[in-house]
Amino acid sequence: MSDSPSQNPFIATDRGASLRRVAMAWSLRLMTGFIVLVTLAILLHIGWKGAPVLFKTQAPFVNTAFLSKLPSTLHVISDRDGRVIETDNRGAEVLKKQLGPNLREEKTISYSGGGILGPIVGTALLVLVSVSVALLLGVASAIYLSEYARPGKTVELIRLAILNLAGVPSVVFGLFGLGAFVLTAPVLTNSPLERSLLIIPLGFAKLSFQGWDTCVLSGGFTLAFVILPVIITASEQCLAAVPQGFRETSMALGATRWQAIRSAVLPFAMPGILTSSILGIARAAGETAPIMFTAALAFKDKLPWQRDLPALAADASWWAHWEQSVQRLLGLFTESVQALPYHIYTLAARIPNNEYAQRAQYGSVLVFLLLVASLSLCSMLLRRRLRRKYKW
Amino acid sequence: MVIATDIEPQEPPMIEVRDLDFAYGAKLALEDINLKVARHRVTALIGPSGCGKSTLLRCINRMNQRLPGAHIRRGSIRIEGHDIHDPRVSLTLLRQRVGMVFQKSNPFPKSIHDNVAFGLRIAGVSDPVVLDEAVERALRAAALWDELKDRLHQHAHSLSGGQQQRLCIARAVATRPAVLLMDEPCSALDPIATLKIEELLGQLAQEHTVVIVTHNMQQAVRVSHDTAFLHLGRLVEHAPTAQLFDNPQQALTEAYLRGTF
Repeated sequence: MSDSPSQNPFIATDRGASLRRVAMAWSLRLMTGFIVLVTLAILLHIGWKGAPVLFKTQAPFVNTAFLSKLPSTLHVISDRDGRVIETDNRGAEVLKKQLGPNLREEKTISYSGGGILGPIVGTALLVLVSVSVALLLGVASAIYLSEYARPGKTVELIRLAILNLAGVPSVVFGLFGLGAFVLTAPVLTNSPLERSLLIIPLGFAKLSFQGWDTCVLSGGFTLAFVILPVIITASEQCLAAVPQGFRETSMALGATRWQAIRSAVLPFAMPGILTSSILGIARAAGETAPIMFTAALAFKDKLPWQRDLPALAADASWWAHWEQSVQRLLGLFTESVQALPYHIYTLAARIPNNEYAQRAQYGSVLVFLLLVASLSLCSMLLRRRLRRKYKW
Repeated sequence: MVIATDIEPQEPPMIEVRDLDFAYGAKLALEDINLKVARHRVTALIGPSGCGKSTLLRCINRMNQRLPGAHIRRGSIRIEGHDIHDPRVSLTLLRQRVGMVFQKSNPFPKSIHDNVAFGLRIAGVSDPVVLDEAVERALRAAALWDELKDRLHQHAHSLSGGQQQRLCIARAVATRPAVLLMDEPCSALDPIATLKIEELLGQLAQEHTVVIVTHNMQQAVRVSHDTAFLHLGRLVEHAPTAQLFDNPQQALTEAYLRGTF
């Protein structure tokens, strides 16, 4: 039985109120929807344009050349019969000789041929170095701030400084890295450079403040400082979320402060700390400015471990061989690399835009997205495993 | 005031608090406390909220010094005649001798076995045979062995609330402390779980000297040999439990016991 509004005091008389409520809900909904739309647009656009580059319709369905070759100049040669052939430097020479007068036109597009193995390897190395350095430094300082330091003005000041680090523009980090790591960081050497700022003789070698040069290590350390604020803040929150009782109990059982942290606090904060490292990975992989001056090259025709070393004599000792292998392996950290974000920037802004350059761009962007996604996925799986082990 | 209990004359009391003033920053929390606790007895600390009974308890294994500003102004605490505030004292060694069970049961999110073995592992014991023996002994002492012997590697959080608190007791006795401090161990438990822990206390006193803080005066009557009544940071009366409850010497104690405070 329905009452008339005059009988039932709970029936709304102000229709405007309910209209306003609906309008409010819808405007919030639309704004959220807009964000989702933009995200989808980006992903779909890149997927649509990049998929033909990365995937093939026949087995093995993936364009292995794109993933396994270094970038090179693309030559597009068309002949008078209307055939168009894409080839690399060497292929172009041979082809031109073959075609002779039949050659109609040759276009060269820098960086757009070959594949993008160099940038993939470079980005992976940079992420590895930066996340390891940032986790080590970040977790250490988070432990200090939340477990050891006496709460007070000093700690608040330190926290403020760390938060401010998050607000520093990334190009400033790049310049800082250039100054600090590329040009002044200390190295052990027997023959210091002339521009070295300070040389400390250590007996067996000299500690020279001459910088690490443009290399993975410099770039990784620079990126580490970019992602440090995120990691410190998140780690501190995770440490604070571990119940105080765990610390008290383990200390009451005779644990020192460090033992309590190591065995009764850190394991339970680790899943959360790893979550923050996921954000760090995505950020470190994506930054361009910090690595422009410290690690990345627009073009490099060698992988970091394919360093040029003097050829060894046929009768060289195993020690000489061993030394060269170690040097090549160290190249993983001491060589400059190509990196995906910088490569994409080069493809998009430093060469004339045409269909061939675009193809390389979209392919690179798609690979980049997939790489970041898979790195994040690894971190998430690790977190899930840890969480299952230390659930509480 | 100090009431002599059955202390053998040549042996120092298990716990001896002398002229203790304890402060949190500028605020005095304990004043002029003198208390002797004899071996193998259960002593209950009672008193209204904020009277300092937990503070006193946490002074005995120096847990209070974690808090910023907390310090002893005067007096000393001795365990078996040894000053625990000697600067050379290792907190690790002290706390292996003086174990503690907290109000909220807080087993680590690890297996039952790892929980009980925690204190020994911290102390550097790694021999699995020794650890297994110690775990069994501790679980027996906490009356948990028969319930849990087949599920030692299950997660500690799969236990019920009462079992978790008894696991915490097992964890505390695994290092064989001489003194066991308990800070309202039953306040979060249901009556049946409480009963089990109360039964346990009598057995524990055969091996340990137990000091228990409790809000529940019936519990003090049921489990303790001696009772100390604190009020506003002072020790008002300390006597054998029956005597203190039946025939309190101080008007304040009587008022508190009657509830006419």
